[in-house]
Amino acid sequence: MDNAQPFFDFGPIWESRWLLLEGFGIAMFSAVAGIFFAIVLGLIVALMRLSRFKVLRGIAFVYTQLFRGVPLYVLILWIYFGLVYAVGIDIPRIPSGIIALALLNSGYLSETFRSGILAIDKGQREAGEALGLKKWEVTRYIILPQAGRIVVPPTGNQFVDAIKDSAILSIIGVPELMKIAQEQANLFYRPFEFYTVAGLMYLVAVMLVSRGVFMLEGRLARYSRSKGHDESSETAPSASEVNN
Amino acid sequence: MDGYIYNWNVVWQSMPELRQGLIITLQISIVGMALAIAFGLIFATGRLSQYGYIRKISVGVVDVSRSIPLFVLLFWIYYGLSLKFSINLTAFQAGAIALGITGGAYMAEVFRGGINAIDLGQREAALAIGLTQSKAFFLVIFPQAIRIIVPQAVNVYVGLLKGATIVSVIGVADMIYVAQYVSLNSFTPFEMYSAVGIAFIALTVSVAGLAFLLEKRLNQGRARG
Repeated sequence: MDNAQPFFDFGPIWESRWLLLEGFGIAMFSAVAGIFFAIVLGLIVALMRLSRFKVLRGIAFVYTQLFRGVPLYVLILWIYFGLVYAVGIDIPRIPSGIIALALLNSGYLSETFRSGILAIDKGQREAGEALGLKKWEVTRYIILPQAGRIVVPPTGNQFVDAIKDSAILSIIGVPELMKIAQEQANLFYRPFEFYTVAGLMYLVAVMLVSRGVFMLEGRLARYSRSKGHDESSETAPSASEVNN
Repeated sequence: MDGYIYNWNVVWQSMPELRQGLIITLQISIVGMALAIAFGLIFATGRLSQYGYIRKISVGVVDVSRSIPLFVLLFWIYYGLSLKFSINLTAFQAGAIALGITGGAYMAEVFRGGINAIDLGQREAALAIGLTQSKAFFLVIFPQAIRIIVPQAVNVYVGLLKGATIVSVIGVADMIYVAQYVSLNSFTPFEMYSAVGIAFIALTVSVAGLAFLLEKRLNQGRARG
């Protein structure tokens, strides 16, 4: 390393602050859009897995196995580079990334939603039907609102994962935070500074969202009669709790 | 479909390279997992420490390493850290360390959850019959906790296996690296990435299946409640 230059120099970061913030915005947008479509898809797949029809159940099962098993990196390359050649569908960078995030997360979310729906007492359905509601009406108005409360925390965690995963979109050239950091790091020859700052930006976003999910969880727990999760992950158990 | 001719032969032809890539993925993920277990044990123990500041540091380290994307961590270590402090790391080593840190954060939670899940009465009973603190932990608590820990650890490993794919970005010759290289020359990204995707699904599904069998085995000796 050149001795004339300072060991740490965060000046270039300040110079490219707007670029980094813009990248951060694109990263967040991709994560939000990805998780939004993942929720929609996940719900459809979850309902398919609980359907009366064997074919739908089969398709949904394969779908979950597929998108939970495939690495995001492979999925993105497959969508962005693979599909263009084979099928001739040319999807731009950002939509490709969002589609990949949506598919991947929908695999996980469908399992979350399924277990959320199954957690609702059978009596609720029976009571609904006894009142003369149709099957879909029971699902729509009685089961889903209650299941929704259960699945909020795991969905929030999935959102956190989507924020972290969005960094991988840089490999197909989506100008999100990581891509910008790479470009600027090469431009100023300051990789340590730029990747540190990029890491901190992701850290702040993830911590804020996690905090929000935790608070939401607390709020929702007040409305539900069941005990809910009492494993408070935020507070470390005190020494007396552990040792006695 | 403007006349695209599928060329699956390319996949068969590059099978030896792909197999080599798969072995590298397995190697890096296993080394990463070993680091993750070590890292996880240290910080899970730290979190159960009787000293407040050790607990706080452990919580902080786990939270931070869990919040930073693996991809960023990888670049930070390989390009940032190694250049700044002139540490000579191979791409493989940097990848394994990044996987170890990310996985370690999850493993710390897995260990803590497993140990906390054991009823306090078990420890009290063990101490009451005269076992020392460490004997109570290793002979009574840990054998029970391991049943909870193992299946979750396998899940963490599956995550690392999938995460390990990104090391090709820094030039580790894993399956994706091979697929990229081959498809650049033969214009068959669809076939190559499909093959790699299928290989990964087969891999993760079988590891998950193994975990299921292991879980059943571990639960055999357990009293039914």
